[in-house]
Amino acid sequence: MHFRTKESMTGYLSLLPAFAALAAIVFYPMVNTFFHSFTKWNGAESHWIGLRNYTFIFTNGELWTLLRNNAVFLLSIPGILLLSLVVSVLLFEEVRGWRFFRSLYYIPTILSSVVVGMLMKMMFSQSGVVNQLLHALGLTDGKTEWLTQVPTAFMVLVFCFYWQTLGQGALIFLSGLSAISHEIFESADLDGAGWWQRLFHITIPSLVPTIVYFTVTNAIYCFIGLFSLVYAVTQGGPGRETTPIDYMIYIKAFQTPDQLGYASALSIVLFAIALLASWVQIRLSNRFQD
Amino acid sequence: MANRKALSTRILVYAILVAIAIVDFYPIVYMAVNSSRTSVDFFQNPGGLPDSWRLDNFKALYYRFDVLRLFGNTLLDALLAFAVTIVLSVPASFAFAKLRFPGRSGLYMIVIATMAIPGITFVIPNFVLMSRLGLVDHPGSVILIWAVTAVPSNIFLLVALMRGIPNEVLEAGKIDGISYIQTLARIVMPLSVPGIVTLAIFNTTGWWNDLFTPLIFLQSDDLKTMTVAVATILKRFDTDYPLLLAGLFMTSIPPIAIYIALQGHIKKGLVIGSVK
Repeated sequence: MHFRTKESMTGYLSLLPAFAALAAIVFYPMVNTFFHSFTKWNGAESHWIGLRNYTFIFTNGELWTLLRNNAVFLLSIPGILLLSLVVSVLLFEEVRGWRFFRSLYYIPTILSSVVVGMLMKMMFSQSGVVNQLLHALGLTDGKTEWLTQVPTAFMVLVFCFYWQTLGQGALIFLSGLSAISHEIFESADLDGAGWWQRLFHITIPSLVPTIVYFTVTNAIYCFIGLFSLVYAVTQGGPGRETTPIDYMIYIKAFQTPDQLGYASALSIVLFAIALLASWVQIRLSNRFQD
Repeated sequence: MANRKALSTRILVYAILVAIAIVDFYPIVYMAVNSSRTSVDFFQNPGGLPDSWRLDNFKALYYRFDVLRLFGNTLLDALLAFAVTIVLSVPASFAFAKLRFPGRSGLYMIVIATMAIPGITFVIPNFVLMSRLGLVDHPGSVILIWAVTAVPSNIFLLVALMRGIPNEVLEAGKIDGISYIQTLARIVMPLSVPGIVTLAIFNTTGWWNDLFTPLIFLQSDDLKTMTVAVATILKRFDTDYPLLLAGLFMTSIPPIAIYIALQGHIKKGLVIGSVK
């Protein structure tokens, strides 16, 4: 019994530094954000204003623009999912040089979103190389202003998102594919199953857990990971038309005076969305575990 | 299998893979090639090759923007943050993996749940806190926030690895009468080296690429990290595309170098959690 209590003490003492640090930098600030979401706050003084920040968020129409902007990215996930799957299935056929392709596809994934965003911003500028190419191919007049109009600005942002995500997709789907046992494929061959039958009856069903993982992690990214990309490419513009929630929190907190209470309330809304997404992730991964 | 397939199918497969490879790699080539052009040459034909290869932009980065200092800032901040995060994560991970005490699984769940909290939702109180401590516009704030916010995912990975340490090894240490701290330093740490290397790669490249935390907490140009400097200082010259591209190219070199040197580790780390 003495030993067990000593072991318990050691355990708690080992956790103490990590928990103290998390309490100071994460837990307490989270509670603090929650409290200040009911106030008007300039960083020094705050006044209790009840639910007014929240009612304002939900009634002034801005939230729907923000959510729409997040939703545009969310709705682009099936496209990159499909692209990653196609690439992985093709690479899995062990075409010569598949390792080379896999490594090459992964390079954009390791770059900072800032680098990717600024690079693409230059390539898609009016006198940039994309317009030059499209003009040379005779597809446009070569004067498209990609970033000053809404649909094309989103196209550039989603292109950046795809460009950065394909490598991750190819990597995890390839490891998902190599986890499928060879016997399954061999017995399918013996049964005379064709390539397409094998794809839809064996390959895709075995990849479902990986597909769920890929979809959910990228869905979470579409709510909490877009800040750097948006900062580098559009700064949320034109107007607020490409501003997702996290970028709006930054604008309200660090670019607008006296809006810290409002920014806190928006943070709580984002926190609730992130919580919901994680809950979905846990539910789905439990279901597909077995 | 490949020899059974028709030649036309194989050509089609290659055509798709090569097309994607071009779209994937061209922007990086574009960045590398154009960073050694003058801006006059660039604007005459943005998609072409330089008429002469010049290193003027890199010289400008070195002399006018003190790029070595920016690299040094980033490296120093990242190394200190990694030291702090390891000191916080290793004992906690060992306790979760190998010690028995009431409330262990509940506390572990709290740590795991913390991973789901988006960083931006608690940044405002931290900014107020850091400004009271005098740490705004001081590397200390960035180091602390990087280190602490990395703790939950680092614990998650280390716990999974430390569960694999055989109990006999730990028992042997106990019989030799070494203290708990010695156990951690002499037995647990050496056995966790592969995990710690993986964390080092992921944490430091993540921090190298991070915009948000240093953008908010650092204001003086001479304290900035490379990524933030490119997004703020160099952006003031955003009509000089080749100069900007040279900056982006230099920012990309360390992550690409780490990736090429340590591919195996990176793949292992990324795949954890995605399969099974």
